[in-house]
Amino acid sequence: MEVKGELKLKVEHLTLSFGSLQALRDVSFEVYGNEILALIGPNGAGKTSLLNCISGFYQPQEGIILFSGEDISRLSPAKRAQKGISRTFQNIELYTGLTTLDNLMAARHIYIKYGPIAGGFFFGKARQEEIKHRRIVEGIIDLLEIEEIRYKVVDSLAYGLRKRVDLGRALTLEPNLLLLDEPMAGMNVEEKEDIARFILDVHELKHIPIIIVEHDMGVVMDISHRVVVLDFGGKIADGTPNEIKQNQKVIRAYLGK
Amino acid sequence: MDFAEKENTLPKLLRRNYLKYGLKVGIREKKMGIWQNYSWAEYYERVKHLCLSFISMGLMPGDRVSILAENKPHAYWFELAVHSNRGVVVGVFADCTPSEVEYYVVHSESRFVVCQDQEQVDKVLEIKNRIPDVQKIIYWDPKGLWNYSDPLLINMDQMIELGKSYEREHPNLFEEKVSSTKENDLALFFYSSGTTGKPKAAMVTHQVLIGMAEALNDVDHFKEHEEYLSFLPIAWISEQLAGVGCSLVCGLRTNFPEKPETVQENIREIGPHFVFFGPRLWESLIRTIQVKILNSDLINRLFYNAALRIGYRTVDYSMSKKRPSFFWSLLYLLADKFVFRPLRDNLGLNKTHVCYTGGAALSPDVIKYFHAIGVNVKQVYGSSEIGTVACHRNFDIKPETCGPPLSNVDIKISDNGEILVRTPNMFSGYYKEEEKTAKAMSDGWYHTGDFGFLDKDGHLIVMDRMDDLLTLAGGHKFSPQFCEIQLRFSPYIKDVLAIARENETFIGALVNIDLANVGQWAEVHQIPYTTFSDLSQKPQVIDLVRQEIVRINGILPNYSRIKKFINLHKEFDPDEAEMTRTRKLRRTFVEERFSQMVEAIFSDKEELEVISQITYQDGRISTTKSVVEINQV
Repeated sequence: MEVKGELKLKVEHLTLSFGSLQALRDVSFEVYGNEILALIGPNGAGKTSLLNCISGFYQPQEGIILFSGEDISRLSPAKRAQKGISRTFQNIELYTGLTTLDNLMAARHIYIKYGPIAGGFFFGKARQEEIKHRRIVEGIIDLLEIEEIRYKVVDSLAYGLRKRVDLGRALTLEPNLLLLDEPMAGMNVEEKEDIARFILDVHELKHIPIIIVEHDMGVVMDISHRVVVLDFGGKIADGTPNEIKQNQKVIRAYLGK
Repeated sequence: MDFAEKENTLPKLLRRNYLKYGLKVGIREKKMGIWQNYSWAEYYERVKHLCLSFISMGLMPGDRVSILAENKPHAYWFELAVHSNRGVVVGVFADCTPSEVEYYVVHSESRFVVCQDQEQVDKVLEIKNRIPDVQKIIYWDPKGLWNYSDPLLINMDQMIELGKSYEREHPNLFEEKVSSTKENDLALFFYSSGTTGKPKAAMVTHQVLIGMAEALNDVDHFKEHEEYLSFLPIAWISEQLAGVGCSLVCGLRTNFPEKPETVQENIREIGPHFVFFGPRLWESLIRTIQVKILNSDLINRLFYNAALRIGYRTVDYSMSKKRPSFFWSLLYLLADKFVFRPLRDNLGLNKTHVCYTGGAALSPDVIKYFHAIGVNVKQVYGSSEIGTVACHRNFDIKPETCGPPLSNVDIKISDNGEILVRTPNMFSGYYKEEEKTAKAMSDGWYHTGDFGFLDKDGHLIVMDRMDDLLTLAGGHKFSPQFCEIQLRFSPYIKDVLAIARENETFIGALVNIDLANVGQWAEVHQIPYTTFSDLSQKPQVIDLVRQEIVRINGILPNYSRIKKFINLHKEFDPDEAEMTRTRKLRRTFVEERFSQMVEAIFSDKEELEVISQITYQDGRISTTKSVVEINQV
């Protein structure tokens, strides 16, 4: 299906090495405004490394990354977050010890204008800002159906719920590009369906491109518009889910030569 | 205080309340983390515009409209909107499967289906081709529905706009329609849970529903603007009676929780004066307390246990109509101040003066417990066909009974022990089932299908369904429900099916352990486990359940004692049709489904391999294999 929209992200000739180990070899691809792009490949193919390059945690040795036409290759992760690139983590890096609500409100910090004094005394302007941010966070809580864990400390939550809070935190940044690193890992059928539905809801509501690293082929076929396949750090295929399903190189990569 | 005067239909009562209360808060809904208020005026305006919209879409008097929703104010608005044009509302349980929804919509010949959200809309769209009479599918929560383009769909905002423009063209039409509603108009269809055969629709008029609410008010004397928490399914007579009925008749304020999962938190926030819960919620409240106490420190446990002893002693005094001595009264005051009041506050039940339980039997132990901690839990007996028939009166509570009949209700017991009821608030028969209606009624008496008797004080005791009673070897009549509710008082047993055979001398039990509490117990005793199946078969868990059964056996009559039991490897599930949507066990169905286990109990086997079919929430089917132990007591 044609859902392209404008070009949002362009990755060109990305090469990443850790000493003599090449994690990414000359990877190039594009992401358009309205699509859900699935990034797949066997274990160790370089998918998380690629996400880490886009979000700024790794610095590739070669290649550039253009976001909405701007070269962000030299920007720090914090600056990239401010540009609107938001991500979830395979290991869910939530702020342990804080409640769900606190974790989500913390993600609003890049938009908060009041300083420590106004915040400490909670003057009129600070209060109004807080209400504004709380309203946005409540909208996300409503979207992800996590009302009942609003005040629960995240450490005590089940794995599936923590992943949802992680997704919520990524959303409260009001991203222009969302990177999801294996959002469905470790979930049963019903939990996967729930997360898939939330991802689709987010996509329909926010109209932002989403890159999702995923192993479950059923999910990839069902919800993504396009698929990019990595193997041993290189891109071996790029096309619609149906094209990828029948691509011989992809089949060989998964089944072994 | 006579509230209803000449307002003999629900829409007329709404209008009266709008004129009387205007901007006072009539409804509250927790949304986006805060309680949002709706005044009676806003309530009225919304109902008006929805009603006019329905009229413009062709709703005629007598037409049926199905509503699939959880407890939300929108469900009330749509219901009153339908009533205002003399339509009939069919409540459908929110967790029904598409095929169940199809049955209700087709059988009732509904012309419109109102859905809360995407989940319900998807169910209806799935069966779209098999419900050709439905003209529109209406929804109010747009989440996930932004890209749906089916021409059948229309959302509430669009309907309100339609209603507003219709009002401009036809001013005063709504007021005329409300005035034209008649007390004998059918208001609601209540589909029975279908424990035996296909569900039947009990038809109830406005007059009857209002009559039932007034009868309740006569017992409990509600004051206007008292807070009520809407919790039970709106498809259920209890919620229609206490929620819609009492709120309109008595001017109560109805509070809608954020989600079913946040109810306990929401009760604390509202501090309602009146609640009506099912037995399962009362039981689960006790379980929550018991687990929290188990996890607290020694001092708290000591205080709690001491206070509970004082509470129980006081309850014994009051239930046997004796006055406690000054000493015990003082002790109770202290126990109340330091233990029970904070406990009630924690549960949100500090202001409640009326706490009903109904729908199924509640164990007398549970009732006594709540009275001990100062919560006035009262049992109510009734059904969609006859409304409330008997209920406990304040200060005259005998926990094993359902209280005396209401003042305008007659109860008699037939020769074979069946409870027969005669009441002015009788239903109007089963829709399209004249034969079944005739079978249920004779000479103006309704056959409840329940076995029971009236005790020496005229209180009604309901033992079990007539069909579930079994005569054991030795001629004893065995009531499985009686046995089961005793067992469910244990925090570790969530559900249990007692099984008996006519030629056997003992009772068997299929036990559904409470995963949360048994899991907690296992953690405390350092017993590792993985899934429910694994936990249920652990030898230590089997011993735990065995001890509970031994304890309960002590108070059961000899012929009613459980000698063998199996811990089920999976929970009872309404999605598997093992329970009704109101959480009543479908006895015959379950016995058939678990027939291998039933056979095994009455044989010499010590363990059994079980293969069961599971239906996932999306309808996919798969099988699981487990081994269960058959345990002696």
